[in-house]
Amino acid sequence: MGRSYIVEDAVEGYLSELCEQRAGSVTGLLLGQSSPQRDFVVTATRTPPTEETLAGNSVDKEWVTEHARQVSRMLPGGLSVLGVFIITDTEAKDTLTTLRQLVFAVENLISSETLWSPAEDDVTDCVALHVNRKTRKTFCRTFDVKDPKSTAKPADWKYQSGVCSSWGMVSCCLLVDMLVPLPDKRTDPEYMDKCLKEELRGWAQQVESGVCLIDGKKLAEDAEFPGGQKRNVRQTYTAQILITPREQRLAEVERRCGGSVSLTGAVHSRAYLHSNKPKARLAEKLLKRDAVSTVATRVQMLLEELLTSEEENKSSGKHKREHCLPHRVFCPLKASRPLCVCDYQFSDESVCEVTERLKEMLDIDADEGDLDTRQESPAENTEREIAAEPTMETVVAPEPKRNTFIGVAMATAVALLASAASMLYLYDV
Amino acid sequence: MVVTDSSDSGTILRVRGPLEFRCQLDSTDALLMHKVISRTFATLHSQVKSESCVLTVCESPVIIWPNKGVYVTPEEITPNTLCEDIHQWIQTDEQESAGKRSSKKKSKKSSAASVINLSLMMEATKTGPLSAPILRRTLQKSHFLSTTLPMDCVVRITCSDTIKDAFECLMEALTHQLCEMEKVTLQHIKGTTLLTHRKELHQQFELQGDWPYFRRANAFHFPNELYKDGYLRNPHMVLTHPTLDNGKVYLVQGIYSYHHYMQDHVDDNGWGCAYRSLQTICSWFQQQGYVERAVPTHREIQKALVDVGDKQGSFVGSRQWIGSIEVQAVLNQLLEVTSKIMFVSQGSELASKGRELANHFLTEGTPIMIGGGVLAHTILGVAWSETTGQIRYLILDPHYTGAENLQVITDKGWCGWKGPDFWDQTAYYNLCLPQRPKVI
Repeated sequence: MGRSYIVEDAVEGYLSELCEQRAGSVTGLLLGQSSPQRDFVVTATRTPPTEETLAGNSVDKEWVTEHARQVSRMLPGGLSVLGVFIITDTEAKDTLTTLRQLVFAVENLISSETLWSPAEDDVTDCVALHVNRKTRKTFCRTFDVKDPKSTAKPADWKYQSGVCSSWGMVSCCLLVDMLVPLPDKRTDPEYMDKCLKEELRGWAQQVESGVCLIDGKKLAEDAEFPGGQKRNVRQTYTAQILITPREQRLAEVERRCGGSVSLTGAVHSRAYLHSNKPKARLAEKLLKRDAVSTVATRVQMLLEELLTSEEENKSSGKHKREHCLPHRVFCPLKASRPLCVCDYQFSDESVCEVTERLKEMLDIDADEGDLDTRQESPAENTEREIAAEPTMETVVAPEPKRNTFIGVAMATAVALLASAASMLYLYDV
Repeated sequence: MVVTDSSDSGTILRVRGPLEFRCQLDSTDALLMHKVISRTFATLHSQVKSESCVLTVCESPVIIWPNKGVYVTPEEITPNTLCEDIHQWIQTDEQESAGKRSSKKKSKKSSAASVINLSLMMEATKTGPLSAPILRRTLQKSHFLSTTLPMDCVVRITCSDTIKDAFECLMEALTHQLCEMEKVTLQHIKGTTLLTHRKELHQQFELQGDWPYFRRANAFHFPNELYKDGYLRNPHMVLTHPTLDNGKVYLVQGIYSYHHYMQDHVDDNGWGCAYRSLQTICSWFQQQGYVERAVPTHREIQKALVDVGDKQGSFVGSRQWIGSIEVQAVLNQLLEVTSKIMFVSQGSELASKGRELANHFLTEGTPIMIGGGVLAHTILGVAWSETTGQIRYLILDPHYTGAENLQVITDKGWCGWKGPDFWDQTAYYNLCLPQRPKVI
């Protein structure tokens, strides 16, 4: 029993266009949502052409994978890279090895960046599609990416119209408030990246184990997500996430640090759900994953920027720096309404840079007017010099001995406090 | 502090949850440190008072926003609903659904107060659009403090309290606890100890100065919390005590756990009775908070005796019996507890020891280990008449080899009242009477 892929009609049109446009081999990504029973492909995008690929017949595997990584950042919850397609003049079986390599490479790269842990019920099959340029015949196979030795399994590829027309959407605006110490001797951006990643992992676990309310109610585990195939039923829902603050191990109460990094603000998170009787817990899972991804992606993007402009940072020698994370902008998929893809706009970028990226990465022709920039407001940079805060006064450094003593006394006090106040709580241990 | 009336079957609301305490101290000036700590506590206060503060009722779909006009979900519950009605929404093992229990299945009301457990959480979502996150990096050598404040508050509600009343009370208790925590933190910067704090509390509540009410181990044990170690506590409490003419019952004070043969996968059938009695005594000292040390194993007991020079090294791992003198030695070595030894040359003499035993339970209140003949037992209490001289002994028998079944243990007399003929009338006995340390 193979998997079956229900594919939006528009994808057929797109693949046909690609067949006509160029000679040589064309690769690209198939995007959509998996479910245990079947998979939905809602759109496709070709690998952006580079000088090398335009010239010859070869497939630039690294570029295909990198493209997939970047595209995956532009997909909101519920949408992911389902697999790879290739259009050639040759027979399908000649490309199978290439397709296999691409599918595994793409999947490995994308999952290496995710901060959330895979779930038991995740579908691990990815699709490899070959289209014969002359005959337009499709050849569809799947590989189980969890199993490095898996072989190609046959799968159905069926075109259908209006695949996503009744899809639902659940969204929320999630607050982020983190404070991370930086080690005493290492305050450079690379170390900041490491510290932030660890903090984000902990935060991701908090979100994953948080309580999710949809439309103000906690739905039972197996309850169906409201909405679905009925017409005229509202399809967008707001979620609320309740989290329990983290337990701190007593051993790490006090430590010396060379500084700190804080991340505060809010992100708009959303997830799309197929209309085939989805469960409430699927909505919860996809929404939470999107929340974690969007924060992690933006932090990653910012740190990549900082690393490249490191020289500038070193010379400025400022004690305090503020950076605005890019805000999220949505763009509807014209042929797959109501779905949207997204991109991130830095405060110093113009909207047309967003539309350019959408064209390059996702092959979408969008006008500025199509974009939805109202879900988040850009962060306001309130950069100011150190002088303002009273507690940041430069105190004449006391002798090191006294420093340690106060630090230890403070730690003891806080630890004593934690244990004293936990008279009832720690009894259970 | 919650006053419970044992005859009233009210409800207790208990909220538990961690609050993250994080701050940076970049100065060693005490005043500035105070400021930063106070500021961090102020942030926590505003968190608890904010609309994002949420209380979820454990094992149920009920969620309450106490600072949003006490907004409750599911919709069927309003702020004016009686607080006790929340019980109907709590899942028991009998049902799977998250909905309301059917009215036919009303639970029996027990005589103990029932507890509604709540978790303290924060709502991490808000209505948007809000501004995207900002990353701020500060470079300053400092001390980073981070810990978790384990909030744990209790309020008692009456049957006429609405959810609105009850939760307003609960939030006050939570705020108060946060204030207390702040006070204690700031105090401890000066280096005071918890002992001072306990003294203050003893004075405040006018409690006697030699019983450690406020040590952590003496925390109230909530009825629906299981003892994780699996031992039975105070099996004697279910017994009916004997009534003697002009007699009074004098019992062990506080809590102990019942240790007996075959527990902890140790087959000590036939030789370990004194060890088990000693374990019962050690459990008493641990559970009243006098010691933090866990109940010692047979090996640890044997090693202690080797350490004090009472036994040779080969004693460890053997199946040799011990007596009251050894019990006294181990209590001293491992728990720093002194004990008195009472010697009786004949079992029949025990009948005349009523007054001394009664006094022991009145002033010390600790379990007594008695060894003689070939057996060791634990005496948990005595019923004694000063005028008639009648006497009964409450015995906890370590020779039991079965499971922790309270019914069996009490029905079959493994924990039970015995008469003077229980003792071997001709054998001599030694009793070890542990002395309670007079500390708080």
